[in-house]
Amino acid sequence: MSDEHTMWDEGSTPLAAEYVLGVLSAQERRDFERRLTREPALASEVEYWEQKLGVLTSEVKPVEPPPQSWARIEAALTAHGSTARPGGVWQNLSFWRWAAIGSTAVAAASLAALAYLERAPAPRQTLIAKLDVSGGQAGFVAAIDPGRSGLIIVPASVANVNQRVLELWLIASGDHPRSLGVIEPGRPARINLPAELIQLIAADATLAVSLEPPGGSPTGLPTGPVIASGKLTKL
Amino acid sequence: MDQNAARKLLVEALARVSQGDRDALRLVYRRTSAKLFGVCLRILGDRSEAEDVLQETYLTIWRRAAEFDRSRASPVTWLVAIARNRSIDRLRAGATVPRMRPIDDATDVGDSTPDPLEQVETAQWHRQLADCLGELERRHAAAIRAAFLDGATYEMLAERMEVPLGTMKSWIRRSLVKLRACLER
Repeated sequence: MSDEHTMWDEGSTPLAAEYVLGVLSAQERRDFERRLTREPALASEVEYWEQKLGVLTSEVKPVEPPPQSWARIEAALTAHGSTARPGGVWQNLSFWRWAAIGSTAVAAASLAALAYLERAPAPRQTLIAKLDVSGGQAGFVAAIDPGRSGLIIVPASVANVNQRVLELWLIASGDHPRSLGVIEPGRPARINLPAELIQLIAADATLAVSLEPPGGSPTGLPTGPVIASGKLTKL
Repeated sequence: MDQNAARKLLVEALARVSQGDRDALRLVYRRTSAKLFGVCLRILGDRSEAEDVLQETYLTIWRRAAEFDRSRASPVTWLVAIARNRSIDRLRAGATVPRMRPIDDATDVGDSTPDPLEQVETAQWHRQLADCLGELERRHAAAIRAAFLDGATYEMLAERMEVPLGTMKSWIRRSLVKLRACLER
């Protein structure tokens, strides 16, 4: 206990109040949170201030979140399944930003996907998915050919992935996420689907894109945030 | 639905969330997402950022519902704390340039009608806090409110209110001690 608050404390633990008030820097917040896990008295102090100051939020006007917001949460739950870990990467999404090009890019991406499909024979139905990112913009448009051998994915936005890579996942109903490989940001990709995955591919399966360390997820399951997702539907 | 019933519903839903019940999380979302989104949006000032943080917030609720202790906190207080912490962390990570709000936004004490969710539990606490803030010097109370509602750091508050950093720290810390004394009365 050598921080500048010690002398000022006098039993009232203002650091807990400062933490709840929100005036501490990122580093001070991390340091304080480490103490919180070891010092129950500090945790009670935080609860006290959360209760007392928390009522101020009653003055903040409620705002309905966008309608697709719940779908994104549900997709993230599905993508992470039981692998979600406390303190994981969800807390740090700040390293990625999207810049939407706009609806013309979405239209172009859709046309590119369709142009690809027209070349394929059609024993089964084509499946398509629009993978939405934050704000309901299309992040990617994906299509799986009727023979289920190939998938094309076309980005509709520019992603600044900042030293990370994009990994595409297939999540069949009731199944854990299966990697379909790493894709380059900003460029259309064609992915050959492994034979063992073909039987999992059906309408209602979800495609999701997560951010992963270079080389892709080290665990075989998504480890980074899901930045876009969407369900496959029959064309 | 009266206030106690609404609160009981949330408490029970959180218990089911802790057992992995997605429908229960959806119920919590339906009843609280507008409030939490408002809180995130106020701090981050950007809809897309706020939506990301809202997603993180409900995923955190999903993982940590077992930690919610109904005997120690009200469900809304607990949920709001998660949303605020996520928003402040995001703000500190620098993904969003905080909007410079005029400090006057924060000077009026307790002049708005509590929203229905808030009425579930906090009407009287709100009055108590408003009264105690009212005992502080006006600019000090404004700084406290701006810090809490906007997630502003000492540095941002000092700049916004055009006082030296040391002065701002001293205002806030002294105000917190006074607030505590008042709230304990």
